[in-house]
Amino acid sequence: MEKKLENLQILVNHLTYHYPDGTIALKGINLNIYSGEIVGIMGKNGAGKSTLIKTFNGLLKPTTGVVYIENDDVNNVLMSKLTRIVGIVFQNPDLQLFANTVEDEIRFSLKNLNFTKTELENQINLTLEKFKLKKFQNRTPFTLSGGEKKRLAIASIMCRNPKIIVFDEPTIGQDAEGVEFIRNLIKEKHSEGKTIIIVTHDIEFAIDNIPRTILMADGLIIADGPTNKILSQDQILNIGSLISPQLIQLSKFLIDSGFKVPDNAYLKENMIQFLGSFLKEKMEITEGGKP
Amino acid sequence: MSFEFMEAFKFIQKKTIIHSLDPRTKLLLATIYSILAIMFEEIFILFFIFLSFFPFIIAGQLFKKWIKSIRGMTFLFLLLIIFNTLFSTFSKSISMILRIMIMVSSFSLFFLTVHPDDLMLSLLSLKVPYNIAFSFSLSFRFVPTIAIEAQNIIDAQKSRGYEMEQGGLISQAKNLIPLLIPLIVCSMKRAFHIAESLDSRAFGSTKNRTYYYSISFTKKDWLLTVILIAFFIFGIIVKLFPDLLPNWLFWRFPV
Amino acid sequence: MNLIKFEDFSFKYDQAQDFVLKDIKLNIESGKFILLCGITGSGKTSLVRAMNGLIPQFYHGEIKGDVFVKGKNTKNVPTSTLSRDVGLVFQNPENQLIAMNVEREIAFGPENIGIPWDEMDSRIKECIKITDIEHLRKKAPFEISGGEQQRVAIASILALQPEIIIFDEPTSLLDPKSAIQILNLLKKILLEKKISTIIVIEHRLDIVLPLADEVILIDKGRIIEHGEAHYVINGEKFLNSGVNIPKCVSVFQKLMNQNIFIGKLPISIEETKNLINSIK
Repeated sequence: MEKKLENLQILVNHLTYHYPDGTIALKGINLNIYSGEIVGIMGKNGAGKSTLIKTFNGLLKPTTGVVYIENDDVNNVLMSKLTRIVGIVFQNPDLQLFANTVEDEIRFSLKNLNFTKTELENQINLTLEKFKLKKFQNRTPFTLSGGEKKRLAIASIMCRNPKIIVFDEPTIGQDAEGVEFIRNLIKEKHSEGKTIIIVTHDIEFAIDNIPRTILMADGLIIADGPTNKILSQDQILNIGSLISPQLIQLSKFLIDSGFKVPDNAYLKENMIQFLGSFLKEKMEITEGGKP
Repeated sequence: MSFEFMEAFKFIQKKTIIHSLDPRTKLLLATIYSILAIMFEEIFILFFIFLSFFPFIIAGQLFKKWIKSIRGMTFLFLLLIIFNTLFSTFSKSISMILRIMIMVSSFSLFFLTVHPDDLMLSLLSLKVPYNIAFSFSLSFRFVPTIAIEAQNIIDAQKSRGYEMEQGGLISQAKNLIPLLIPLIVCSMKRAFHIAESLDSRAFGSTKNRTYYYSISFTKKDWLLTVILIAFFIFGIIVKLFPDLLPNWLFWRFPV
Repeated sequence: MNLIKFEDFSFKYDQAQDFVLKDIKLNIESGKFILLCGITGSGKTSLVRAMNGLIPQFYHGEIKGDVFVKGKNTKNVPTSTLSRDVGLVFQNPENQLIAMNVEREIAFGPENIGIPWDEMDSRIKECIKITDIEHLRKKAPFEISGGEQQRVAIASILALQPEIIIFDEPTSLLDPKSAIQILNLLKKILLEKKISTIIVIEHRLDIVLPLADEVILIDKGRIIEHGEAHYVINGEKFLNSGVNIPKCVSVFQKLMNQNIFIGKLPISIEETKNLINSIK
């Protein structure tokens, strides 16, 4: 979707946040997020990432400045409405699982959404099926494996069908399959037109899946732009305590060595294609010889 | 009780004469003031006891924290005034408030200025077994951690539509389940991890444990101890022979 | 010399259905930086718990076979004693920092084994120096960053002077730069011979592989590959194991599958650069 005014979904203006103990977590944030975007938020621990996302669903109220979610000032909207629009998936599923059964865990999330009984049961079933939890329906959530718990925690937010989905460190400790699951989920939700915000340290995941990245430091946004640009500037990387993804490092090396590398070689498929044609060329020159 | 009130009991590192006192002296201080507070119910006497505690708060640079702890109890004070006045007298309610203020202040001074690890050492010096003393100091260490975790749990549940409900006692209690169960589960997991890591650090591997830090009674401590005991004896004398004091000290509110 | 030796070791947790470790035969030698990898639930954490006696002493269950740490059977020697040979640093430093300041934290291990004050003091000073945390000496664990906490955790294990230190995902909660710094610190400790062997469980293979001498690959409770890092990374089993394969490895693996590239897969960016230079 285009970055047009009518698509503006989150508007943050001069936002500051002071914790009751006096810590100033946000020192003047300005930010526009448009409907259907995928946005990454990066930065050191303590830079203010969590504080910022908590103002989106009403967990924290701005000290000064404004946050508009879908044209509503968060100060004037009930939290129950905000959490319906903005769903935050927290990193640790243990923080939220409590019910007797997996099914009840989903039911709890749907409690105050004014569903009729049939609608409610339908939604529960759909969610369980979608997240491959149907077979655990009547099991207690505490006997699930780590990965299954994570799926359940995600399901318990997705079933509420929020328009804006915020993931807090979704790939921490995940193996390739777990990362793939998150990747597909984001793709699917993006194709449904959802807005997706991902707080992450995972540079390799970000470069592949997140087009726009915001870098925070010390309560401020210090960079906002295409992820590949953000992750290739040394100065920005230093402030954010980040490193370049491998293929950006490799592209830079190739450029320095005199190669004409395409701009998008930071993506794996493009790098394979580029190196492939280079290697093929070499092979032809040394025809019959060893590469 | 809010977490803000708990702040009044969380140790902060500072360099003051109060911080440098031996924990045992400060324990004596807290105990004597608490006993005196219970002994008397006369408003003026309690007020003077309370005033006499002020220098300690100032010397320990604890004024801000102390004000916080008193503010955190405003609600309790209101309740005390209402109930005591209803069932007894207004004077009683005021003396009750003064008593509580003295006790809370003296123990909050103790916890604010005694390093939890020193707390363990003073327990050891009072012949408490190491395991018990250690678990005591460990629980102090984890208060802030668990407070943060509790906040994270509230945030996570609120984010999926959980609302702190109004209503009867039973429905309110029921409503706490989504917070309590994750808190218990997380705390148990944490306890397991801590135990694992203690084992991996030779905890309990020998009976002849050594200590890097030690606590010791200095001149300051002896001096304060003598003053405190004298103060205490003076208090007992006054309690036994109230005629020694001028009459206005026993004044009460007419209601 | 064999520091840790598994002899056909199998283990099943109480109340679990299946064995979590199956017929483990393994020798851990000195002087190595060893990466232990495998997908979630493959048995990595259980394997390291068996290396310092937490399995079977803290976690009970059904055992077959034996594990020896420097010749001591982990069935008979308590973990608290084995901790002088094997140190274990966990993922979340929050749960292993038990004192209210850094100095006391580091002292805790030596205190537990009854080290005299003078030696304790010199050990603390040395550990603070190695891990570069002089400025944190009097700070409480909740006043310092995650990377700093992990340094303190490392220092507090070093103070026990074990021969082997095992790290269970030490960097998963850290930002990329801090993660690299921690891993480099581990390598430095190894190279300066403060420790004779380091075993690391790590999901971010891209940053740990350049440091690894050996790789152990575990799957469904069995060790399916163990050897020199290049040997393991070039094997089918590794490439199909479901762990997060670094991009430089997978790029050249694809090229290899297309028959455009023949040779050893590069396991780090440095090696990739050298490879390209050699072709050019």
